[in-house]
Amino acid sequence: MGSYIGMGQNDKQSRWGAYNGLGQNDKQSKWGHTLEWDKMISCQDGAIHWPGQNDKQSKWGHTLEWDKMISSCCGCCAALKPRYKRLVDNIFPVNPEDGLVKNNMDKLTFYALSAPEKLDRIGQYLAQRLSRDVQRHRYGMVVIAMDALDQLLVSCHDYSLNLFVESFLKMVQKLLECDDVELQILATSSFIKFANIEEVTPSYHRRYDFFISKFSSMCHSNNSDETCKARIRTAGLKGLQGVVRKTVSDDLQVNIWEAIHMDKIVPSLLYNMHDQGFVQVDLDNHRNEEAPAFVAETVFRDLVCRASFGNIKSVLKPVLVHIDNHQLWCQATLQFVVKCFKIIMFSVQQQYAYIVIQVLMTHLDSHVRSSPDIKSSIVDVLFECVLIAAGGSIGPSVLDVFNNLVRHLRISLDNKSTDVDKRTMEKKFEEAIISTIGEFANNLPDYQKIEIMMFIMAKFPQFTSEEEFGGKMDAQLQTMLLKTLLKVATKYKTVSMANAFPPEFLHPLLRMSLLDDPGMRIIVQQILHTLIDRNDNTPKFKHVVITKDISKLGLKLQKSARQDSLFMKKNGSEFYGCLLENMQMDSNKVDNFEALYCTMALICVEMGCTEILLELIRFALELQNIAINKLSLPLTHKCAIHALTSGFLNLLAQLAEVKSLATYVSGVIEIRRQEASHLLPDVAFNRANKPSSYPEVETLKDTWLFQQSQIAEILTELGHDVSRLSKPFTYRVFSSLLGGIDAEDSTLEKDEEERRRKEILQTFQTAPFEEIVARSESKSNHFHNKLNEILEMVSKHPDSPGSLRNTNKTTVPVFDIQFPELYVY
Amino acid sequence: MEDYKYLFKIVLIGDAGVGKTCLVRRFTQGLFPPGQAATIGVDFMIKTVEIDGERVKLQIWDTAGQEKFRSITQSYYRAANALILVYDVCSQATFDSLPQWISDIESFAKHKVLAYLVGNKIDQINSREVPSYIGKQWADRFEMRFLETSAKDAENVDILFYDIAMELTKDAREKDKLESDCTGFNISPNTKTINRCTACFKF
Repeated sequence: MGSYIGMGQNDKQSRWGAYNGLGQNDKQSKWGHTLEWDKMISCQDGAIHWPGQNDKQSKWGHTLEWDKMISSCCGCCAALKPRYKRLVDNIFPVNPEDGLVKNNMDKLTFYALSAPEKLDRIGQYLAQRLSRDVQRHRYGMVVIAMDALDQLLVSCHDYSLNLFVESFLKMVQKLLECDDVELQILATSSFIKFANIEEVTPSYHRRYDFFISKFSSMCHSNNSDETCKARIRTAGLKGLQGVVRKTVSDDLQVNIWEAIHMDKIVPSLLYNMHDQGFVQVDLDNHRNEEAPAFVAETVFRDLVCRASFGNIKSVLKPVLVHIDNHQLWCQATLQFVVKCFKIIMFSVQQQYAYIVIQVLMTHLDSHVRSSPDIKSSIVDVLFECVLIAAGGSIGPSVLDVFNNLVRHLRISLDNKSTDVDKRTMEKKFEEAIISTIGEFANNLPDYQKIEIMMFIMAKFPQFTSEEEFGGKMDAQLQTMLLKTLLKVATKYKTVSMANAFPPEFLHPLLRMSLLDDPGMRIIVQQILHTLIDRNDNTPKFKHVVITKDISKLGLKLQKSARQDSLFMKKNGSEFYGCLLENMQMDSNKVDNFEALYCTMALICVEMGCTEILLELIRFALELQNIAINKLSLPLTHKCAIHALTSGFLNLLAQLAEVKSLATYVSGVIEIRRQEASHLLPDVAFNRANKPSSYPEVETLKDTWLFQQSQIAEILTELGHDVSRLSKPFTYRVFSSLLGGIDAEDSTLEKDEEERRRKEILQTFQTAPFEEIVARSESKSNHFHNKLNEILEMVSKHPDSPGSLRNTNKTTVPVFDIQFPELYVY
Repeated sequence: MEDYKYLFKIVLIGDAGVGKTCLVRRFTQGLFPPGQAATIGVDFMIKTVEIDGERVKLQIWDTAGQEKFRSITQSYYRAANALILVYDVCSQATFDSLPQWISDIESFAKHKVLAYLVGNKIDQINSREVPSYIGKQWADRFEMRFLETSAKDAENVDILFYDIAMELTKDAREKDKLESDCTGFNISPNTKTINRCTACFKF
């Protein structure tokens, strides 16, 4: 009693005030006896003797035992009970079916509002009554008591609720502990009402552990009655939502994000979302809004969107564990997982979306040894997530993400299975990774895309020092990496060539275009296509054709920027050289030639063919030279190159709008058409060709070829400086750079020697004298320059001033004098 | 208002189909449900028993044995005052998976949890695969209590739960004593008030 009375004394002052104020109202008679009651309390005696009171309590709510007890205890009437108890008792009807006595409930509410300090005792008393009713299975009364608790909760002010809530929660727990389904549902709905009340005053001593455990357990109800099962589950789900609501915003409450709680809440939600029994829920149908699957989804969204930076992982972890445990990564249920993650991605606060992706990546890591279909499912989900997360998908560690994905690609290739079925799954996984990388890249700013491409290129086995991989594995990895590159490249929107091809990207890319494998070379060309092509012209150059009037092709042309032609002036030779090298590859197939043609045509279109016309023509003629001079090439290849040249020149002349050149080109083509159709694309690129389609004897008439001299004439008339036209191409640089084609080097060198011999022979036979002079001059100039360079180096040496003077006179003595000095080192 | 002195949480674990739900049902409702469906997630039962004149409430969490619910069931271990690890004496396989369960208990439950090893279904004498003494040895090795039960014949079921309740009550009392020496704050103030309130009428 100590605390009780103490409280009475403490409160007395305020209560007096409250009642005095009230006393002035017309309720005087009703409230009058409070005064006496307070006096009674101040008597501080356990046995309270209350003056006669004409109250009706005994008729109303009291149970027989209760009355008996009272009468046996104090031999007095029920009226001795404090006012709040009487008010509480009054709300209960004689017959439970009659429901709450509205009038009296209003009185109780009014009392509680005007005497908030009594609220906790009202709560205790109600709770006491309720637990008694529960024990006696008088469920009608239980419902009424809960109703009253609810009403008091809603109508009372926040600051006075604190202790009342204690008894309220005890009641809810009491009901939840019952076996009776209806009571559990009733308790849950009360709890939800409570959860919706926003409390401002903090409360320190609430524990929700039981509620979380119990609600989670309800979510897994396996009641034999389907509708009943659904109701219990729905109640459980909503209850969980209530707990989350109540705790999430209040720092004093239990940390709902702790694993121990999340491990219960999240699986309960997910289980209901995918439970087979409820799958056929039509989500558009509003009558199904109460279906567990639907509710679970709503609650799940709610939970995810409340998660902050530190918490989102604690939601995701149980999600992944649940998916693992229930083996949902398989194809049949993948849709659910995707849906799940879509929900997460749409609900999670935008700035944290990347964490979801990070977590998925880590999960992929943890599944490194799992079967490929699980892995590819994870990657599929990852892909969907990246699609949604868009810009923010990568987070701070861009390269890390790509590195990880590429690593998985590599691991998959390294552990290739021999089983056919398994291998197809692995391939699917690999493809999934590639498209995911592409999607990641898509969200990066353009400059980063180039960086990523360079990063991926750096992963090429031949560029790294790791040599332990077998050649075949290399090939597969390379193909995969190239496909990845292509994927990223397609996402890149080229604006200026110089930006698209920074030197540190262009060089390795061009080097890669000379890989051994023809299939890979095509991919590299495709990468070039997508990067060069700004106007979607690629499809129009898919095949080598000679179009009389290129306007029919419907090309989208754009005035090329000056910087692009500058770019070509700077890097053109590399492009041409690389293309020329490519043409000479023995392993080329029709597709390769077509891809090369496409690249050439795109260069024409995109780089401003008028500015670099001369270079392009020079390149075309060099191409023709290759076809003529490189004897080791098979006839089909030579024909293809000739045909390609004709197609290219035809396109070029018309694009550059040089009428005279176009006429000349079409003239040559016409002659070929009549005399040597095998040098035209129609025949040379006919895939149905047989050896008989080609002439048996390899002959080339001058009239079939594009003559440099005649083209030069035409161009001179147009005012071009044609002196460069005659200069040979110096594209050799490339093969020396390339480590990858070492194997071919010996044959290549032989070819080269032969070609050079023939070239020289031909030059001296056919070329005009001036050209020969120019050639030898340029050669000697080159020699001279080299010499000068050496001399300069030597001259820098402080110890050899004397030698410098000598070298200026003749070359031979230089070495005589220098040798001894060199030996000094 | 509180109609009990102590509240204990008991969690039943063990492989699927060893009869955990039947044990609980037998104890709480006094019936043996034939053809009991597999538990999903976690089931909850409550039973109040009287130990030495004091009411003790047992919250019994009956977990699903299926592997796929392992993560949610494990989250219930932590709060448990007592764990009942059940195996089927007619199935060597359920006995063989005990080490896994033990390691789960070690990693998820409280450090000094009261653990009980229970061999269920001893009514099926003819198909018994795990002899009693082996179960006993095993329980001794891991410092667990051991009992063989039959939910069907109600054999040892009550003994099992009462024993747990008794043990836990004993522990709780000792703890209470310790605490009351220091603070005397073992029951919430609310409870005291009510007790006095009812007492005031008895006066």
